[in-house]
Amino acid sequence: MNLAFKEIKRNKVRFLILGSIVFLVSLLTFIISGLANGLSQDNASLIKDLPEGQFYMNDDAEETYTLSRIDSSLQDELLTNYKDATALSIQMGILNNHNGKQQSVVFVASTESKNFKDVKDGEIILDQSMEEKGINVGDTLTNPQFSGEFTVKGFVDQTKFSHAAVAFINIENYKEIYRVNEMQLVFVPKDNSPQEISGLQSFSKHEFLKTIPSFNAEQMTLNMIVWFLVVISGMLFAIFFYMMNVQKIGLFGILKAIGLKTSRLFTIMWTQMIFITITSLALSIAISQGFNLIAPEGMPFSLTIETTMNLSVVFLVIGFIGTTIASLQIKKIEPLQAIQQGEI
Amino acid sequence: MSLFTLNEVKKTFTIGEVKEEILKGVNLSLREGEVTALVGASGSGKSTLLTIAAGLQSASNGQVIFEGNNLSQMEEEGIRKIRANHFGFIFQFAHLVPFLTVEEQLLLMLDVSESKLKKHEQKSEVNRILQVVGMEHRKQAYPSSLSGGEKQRVAIARAIIHKPKVLFADEPTASLDSKRSKDVMALIREITKTLNITTLVVTHDEEMLVFVDHIIKMSDGLIVQHS
Repeated sequence: MNLAFKEIKRNKVRFLILGSIVFLVSLLTFIISGLANGLSQDNASLIKDLPEGQFYMNDDAEETYTLSRIDSSLQDELLTNYKDATALSIQMGILNNHNGKQQSVVFVASTESKNFKDVKDGEIILDQSMEEKGINVGDTLTNPQFSGEFTVKGFVDQTKFSHAAVAFINIENYKEIYRVNEMQLVFVPKDNSPQEISGLQSFSKHEFLKTIPSFNAEQMTLNMIVWFLVVISGMLFAIFFYMMNVQKIGLFGILKAIGLKTSRLFTIMWTQMIFITITSLALSIAISQGFNLIAPEGMPFSLTIETTMNLSVVFLVIGFIGTTIASLQIKKIEPLQAIQQGEI
Repeated sequence: MSLFTLNEVKKTFTIGEVKEEILKGVNLSLREGEVTALVGASGSGKSTLLTIAAGLQSASNGQVIFEGNNLSQMEEEGIRKIRANHFGFIFQFAHLVPFLTVEEQLLLMLDVSESKLKKHEQKSEVNRILQVVGMEHRKQAYPSSLSGGEKQRVAIARAIIHKPKVLFADEPTASLDSKRSKDVMALIREITKTLNITTLVVTHDEEMLVFVDHIIKMSDGLIVQHS
């Protein structure tokens, strides 16, 4: 006889309330997590979407990529020695459209690479957010420091840096705008073991992200918000499951008195906890993923199935711990104690 | 024939630094097909004696022998099995499982006692026992819709559905009015005789003693009269 489901069937309202709490709290966590990830993507998707690898910048730059200048001969040596290596530069800048309206962008120029857009002289490829601002393929854009014009060749999905749209331009155009001859960085993909190169400092992708001004502080704040929410939600789950089971000590004592095994009482509690948690989480996963699809264009929201699953596992484990702590109380209860407590 | 024997059973409780001896060496034998009543004033030790005999708490000293097994020396799991398979319990309150119907309460007891009956046989047995206690018409009812007397009848049905060898009843009529109390005691007597069960009842109601075969009077932790 499945006592766990018989109790749920008979006490629908009580279990519905508990399920609603699990659903609402987990949905809140998923949505906040989606917003935090969205902001993180908005800040650094240019770098985050690259494959794992090593970034090299000048030793003298003191971990500030904008100050880095890699000597041309050293750059050539690296591009020859390391397969798929790319030299690149990233700089904030502005673009004007034919009406003279200014847009802030991040200019990215790189040597030939499958990880960055290949752009010819006078061409520009922009992040899709610029299309939403009224720029179309074929439009011409200008920059005060650039003698020519940029022709928009296309758009790329969600490629942002420091919350600004990325604009891929040709290296020569970049050199003209910023009056430089050297590139700031060399990126070597699929290289997880940093090489000792004289005059250069190496950074993993994760380490490089930390060098981006404001990224680290912003991420720490967002991560703190998400994890505080996870911990508080988890504790809330554990407390609710604990309270739900501790209230039934009298009933469990009587069941023990008539000979029901303690292990079967544990099974009842775990079955109910798993059923409620999984049902509620499934609903909040469906809604949060649905929101992921329909979130307003301007809203930075990114919630992967992987993140959702990881959070769900955390909730299940914490719920399980809360139920197990209550189970230990049940294990200790003497049947006689329950009988003497009076009617259930 | 004696099925159940208690030899020199003692029980001491320690409250703070004070030791209180509730049972001071009780000897008792129970026979099949007979109802034995434990009577006495409050605090005389009758309920403590019943719960020790039923394996719901351990004795501080002495032996509780059921079918040659000494419950005092058995592990918790062994006592649980004996409770599930051979003992039936009726308490002052019915203590029914609130989310099970009357029929399910009885099926649960068959499940707990690991009954060998097939599903349809179990249902037939439930119907038969509910007829015995006069509750077959309420088998789909939940405890919340039963009267006190009906609940106690279901509790009796649950206590005997798995054909226990010993039935323990601790003040089974204390929460009932006079008429219902007599009905319940008459039912316990009838079941004891029909199923040849050994029954031990704790009661403080002298009117109920007409339904029992033996009366054991306790005072201050000792048996003072056996009739």
